[in-house]
Amino acid sequence: MILVPVTYRGGIYRHGEVMDLIEDIGGYIVQKHIIAQEVVLQCFVPQADVEFLRNTVKPISGEVTDSPLVGTEIAIVSMSLEIHHLPHPSCDIAEYVRRLGAKSNMVSLARGPGKRISQLNDEERDVINEHDIAVYLLGNFEKCIQQKLPNLRRGIEVPIVLCGGPDKENLQRITDPPVDGYVGNVGRFMHRTKESEELTKLDEIISEVTRVLDARRVAIAKDPLSVSPARLMDLIREKVPAILDVTSPTPLTVQMQGLRVKLPYDPYATEIRKIEIEDGVTIEDIARVNPSRMRDYILLQILPFSETNVVV
Amino acid sequence: MQAIEYFEVECPETLGGEYYKQITNDVLLDHNLLRVIRKIHVYVDPNVPIFIAVGMLHRITTLVKVGDFCNVNPLEGKITLVLSNETYLAPMLKIFWQKFGQDRVEQADRFTVILRGISAGVKEIEEIVVADPSESVYKDLIYALKCIAPEGFRIRREKYGGGRFYFVSSEDTLPDEVDGHITKLFSKMGEAFP
Repeated sequence: MILVPVTYRGGIYRHGEVMDLIEDIGGYIVQKHIIAQEVVLQCFVPQADVEFLRNTVKPISGEVTDSPLVGTEIAIVSMSLEIHHLPHPSCDIAEYVRRLGAKSNMVSLARGPGKRISQLNDEERDVINEHDIAVYLLGNFEKCIQQKLPNLRRGIEVPIVLCGGPDKENLQRITDPPVDGYVGNVGRFMHRTKESEELTKLDEIISEVTRVLDARRVAIAKDPLSVSPARLMDLIREKVPAILDVTSPTPLTVQMQGLRVKLPYDPYATEIRKIEIEDGVTIEDIARVNPSRMRDYILLQILPFSETNVVV
Repeated sequence: MQAIEYFEVECPETLGGEYYKQITNDVLLDHNLLRVIRKIHVYVDPNVPIFIAVGMLHRITTLVKVGDFCNVNPLEGKITLVLSNETYLAPMLKIFWQKFGQDRVEQADRFTVILRGISAGVKEIEEIVVADPSESVYKDLIYALKCIAPEGFRIRREKYGGGRFYFVSSEDTLPDEVDGHITKLFSKMGEAFP
């Protein structure tokens, strides 16, 4: 069963029925937002049932749209937390990808600024590697990007989308070896993105991120995961009641190949490892349960079928 | 409002220069410095790397007085001041406390101050000088230039006085020829190095 990420938007009236329906057809709700009288559900539903869901929610004025970023965790890598980079453009981009369903985290580097002096430390590298994709927001000068990028990408294993002031062609020319995606003409700026031209640039970032993630999905599909991350999320929510007390907006953050559980590692890791998924198969059989470098969270990395010989 | 007479950004990378012109404009606008600056020339070279900003300022002669932002109403032995904005409320209260004593100054709310039992007249109160904007221009200007300059450029030197300023920053030690560069930039604006 292939699950596709979609977003449901509709009124608060009878939205409980929509949630039940999604679960009944074998889907999973990743996140639920209630904004005034509107409900937004970010979910995974079986590909064959998307049209059925779309038609069923029409009478209650619900709308189902494709959201390729649902179920992904994106690192927005900003060179620092100074006024030079925040709130524009880093926050603008982080907020824009969040609107389309992704969970974005801003990773600001301790020693990111500068041409010769910029560095990436091991903690920053590991935190970035815990995401599905990293969007690097660099500055306006070709020379700087060319010199500092090799330092900033050292040890990064996730796909990188590079944003910078020079044109896309120039970014491609100065990047060696190439990164996975490029968006030109988005460097450092000190005003809010509200002009149509700037919003088009944000859309360009989204389409580039989506393209790179789609390519990654295709690669994952060649050796499928032993369990869907969304299923694992549902299971942990059911079996570990402590997760319901976590006040974070996404206590369980779904990634493309894993899950971030926002519970402390030491007291809960063993309990999570021992959870049975189906027919005696436990989480530890099909996933690595590691401590995350982000706070004291738990990071589940689901193993592919080729390593476990199990698909549940 | 007085406009900037001369505004140039020079950079070996054309596109980078255009972005820096936009950044300079945005930052100066955000910090209300466009009315203070008469001329500004920015030079950024990422190859060196160096950032230089030189410029001339308008003469700031206006002093902020109580009458500029307060409506002073004498009524039944007390004087009520109704503030149109609270930017200068804190320095005004400090001056009143020193001049009249804390027991005679009452702040009813954010926009109302009442003075009781004082001998000063309305005209006299309106003429009390609360702030001198020229004192803070230097601080504001340097802060704005720090925001404009590339972030890693932590080594800097600045000078302000006689209606002119310059600001140089780099991530390396400043080169010896920086003074000559500043002089050239001033002459491009048609001015002399201070």
